[in-house]
Amino acid sequence: MEKEYKRMLRKFFRNPSGVFGLALLFFFIFVAIFAPVIAPPQPSNKYEPYMMPIVTWSPDPQPPSKEHPFGVSERRDIFYGVVWGTRTAFRIGLIVTGVSTLIGLFIGSISAYYGGWIDEILMRITDIFLSIPFLIAAIVLTTLLGTGLDKVMIAMIVFGWMGTARLIRGNILQAKEEQYVLAAKAIGVSTPGIIVKHLLPNTIFPVLIQASMRMGSLVITAAILSFLGLGAPQGYSDWGAILNYARNWMLGAHGEALKYWYTIVFPGTAMVLFVLAWNLIGDTLRDIFDPRLRI
Amino acid sequence: MSALSEKKPILQVKDLRTYFYTEDGIVKAVDGVNFEVYEGETLGIVGESGCGKSVTSLSILRLLDEKGKIESGQIIYKGKNLLELSEDGMRKIRGNEIAMIFQEPMTALNPVYTIGDQIMEAIMLHQKLPKDEARKLSIEMLRKVGIPEPEKRVDEYPHELSGGMRQRAMIAMSLSCNPSILIADEPTTALDVTIQAQILELMKQLQNEYGMSIIMITHDLGVIAEVSDRVLVMYAGKAMEYAGVRELFKNPKHPYTWGLMNSIPRLDVEYERLNAIPGTVPDALHFPEGCRFHTRCELATDKCRVEEPPLEEVAPGHFSACWHVDKLEAAIAVQREGESA
Repeated sequence: MEKEYKRMLRKFFRNPSGVFGLALLFFFIFVAIFAPVIAPPQPSNKYEPYMMPIVTWSPDPQPPSKEHPFGVSERRDIFYGVVWGTRTAFRIGLIVTGVSTLIGLFIGSISAYYGGWIDEILMRITDIFLSIPFLIAAIVLTTLLGTGLDKVMIAMIVFGWMGTARLIRGNILQAKEEQYVLAAKAIGVSTPGIIVKHLLPNTIFPVLIQASMRMGSLVITAAILSFLGLGAPQGYSDWGAILNYARNWMLGAHGEALKYWYTIVFPGTAMVLFVLAWNLIGDTLRDIFDPRLRI
Repeated sequence: MSALSEKKPILQVKDLRTYFYTEDGIVKAVDGVNFEVYEGETLGIVGESGCGKSVTSLSILRLLDEKGKIESGQIIYKGKNLLELSEDGMRKIRGNEIAMIFQEPMTALNPVYTIGDQIMEAIMLHQKLPKDEARKLSIEMLRKVGIPEPEKRVDEYPHELSGGMRQRAMIAMSLSCNPSILIADEPTTALDVTIQAQILELMKQLQNEYGMSIIMITHDLGVIAEVSDRVLVMYAGKAMEYAGVRELFKNPKHPYTWGLMNSIPRLDVEYERLNAIPGTVPDALHFPEGCRFHTRCELATDKCRVEEPPLEEVAPGHFSACWHVDKLEAAIAVQREGESA
C-alpha cells in the first residue's frame, strides 16, 4: 500500500482547493484542541466547560467588545460558544458519520454479497427509511427520546445510513463478479474475509468521499435541530444553539436591520467554513480516486 | 492402459449433474459426467465454450454462484464425498488440498494488494505460519515459478507485472500450500504463444517436483496433447469420449473428437479451406434430444436423434458415447488412406 498511499498524498497536495480545505480543517482541529486555552472557562464553570458563561444580566445582545470579541447574545459570550462549539461540531460529525457509515457498510455489503431474499428484505427496509422525510423523522424521534445532543445524534444515525448502504451495495454487486473474488474463494477465504479483505478495499473509496462530504452537512442538520430547540440544552456550546438565541434579534431593531449582525455572523461563519472544509476535502478525494482522471 | 490403471485415483467424479436455474429455464450445464484423476497425473478436459468444462471444475470446489446447483452425483476426494462436507470443511479443502488457477491472470489478482500479500494470505490461512515465515515462503514460491528478483517482486502490485508474470504469481499462490490437485482453467488462453509454452513447461516441471495431479481445462487440443495423461472430451454438458491421451489421438472413437482433430490446421496436408465442425454449439436451454451432438454430426442416423448413446468402453480404458463407432472407424480409415496415398 505504501507507494499508492504516497502517490495519493502527492496528488492531494497538488490540488489547491484540497490544500485549502485541509488547512481549514487543521485550523478547526487546532481550535477544538486548544479551546481551554483560547477561551478559558471561568473557575465557576470548570466542571462544565461546555456551558457558555453568563456574562451579563441585560437581556439585549451586546456588540463585540474587547472582553467579548464576538459580542454577547442571550447574556452569553458568543466567542466562548463558537470556540467550544468546534468540539461539539467535531463530536457530532465524527460520531454520526462514523456510526452511520459502519451501519451502512454492514447492511449494504451483506445485502449485495448474499443477494436473493436477504438483499430484497434489507433493501426494502432501506427504502422504508428513505421514504420518511429526515427532518420530520428526527423531530419525532427526539420527541420520543427526549431532547438533547445525544438524542439528536441517535436520530441522525438512525436516519442517516441509507445512502452509504445503497452506495456500497451497488459497488459490491459490481465487484463481486470479479475473478479475484472467485480466486480468493478458491484459496479458502471465508465469507467475512472476502467481504472485508477483498471487496471493501476495492469499493470503499466512494463511501469515504461521501462520508467526508456528509461530515460537514451533518453539522448543519444538527444545527437545524438545535435551532428548532431539539438539540443542545440551554447554554450549551453549539453553533446551532447560538443561532437559536439569535432568533429574536435576527430582524434587527426598528430602522436598523443589521443592528444585531454579530449574533448570526460569527456562529454562521464558523459553520459555513466547517462545511466548506469537509466539502473541499471530499471533492479533492473524489478527484484523486476517480479512475477516469487516473493516468 | 493397464499401466495407468495401476495408479490410485485421488479424485473420482461420479455422475455429476450441475444445473443452473435461470429465469428462462433450467440450464443443464453438466449432465452426468464421470471421470477419475490419478495421483501425479494430468487429466485434460477439452471442449468448446459452453460445454460445461469450467462448471465441472467449479463444481469440484463447490464455487458455483447462487443460481447453480449440484443436482446429483458424487465427488470423491481421498475417500470423502466433497458434496457432503460442511462449508467449513470445504474451506479447508480449497487452496489447501485442491487449488485452482484461472484464465485471466489480469483479473484474478486483487488490484489493491501486493503479490506477496496475496500469496501470504493463502499460506497464513492454511499453514498458520507467522507473517515473516509466510513472507519467506512467498519469496521462495516466486523464485520457484521463475519470477526474477522475487525479493523485489513480492512487494509489487499486480498492475506492475506482465501477463505471464501474473500467471506465474497465480501459480505460486495456488501451489504455496502444496495441494494434491491443481485445477487449471484455461491457464494459457489469455497469454501469447511463447508465454503459453513457458507456463505449460513450468506446470509440468512443478508437477514432477510436487507430485500433484492436475486437471487441465482447455479448448486447445495442442495443450491437451502436450500435458495430459488422460483426456475427457465434453460436449453440451456430456462426456463424449474419455481415454488415455495417446490412444485418443491415435484412435479417436467419437465423431466430435475426430471433428476437433480435423479442425487443427496441418502443414503436411493441402487444404482448399480449413476443416470445421459444421453448425454451432446448441443453446444450453434447449439441448437436442438423443445424442446431443447429432445436429452437427455427419454420421448421425435416426437412432441418434431419438436415443442417447451411453458412455461405453469401446476399447480397453477407452470410453465413447456414440452409436456408430464402427462407421467412424471406417471413415477414419478412408481418410487416412487418402492422406498416405
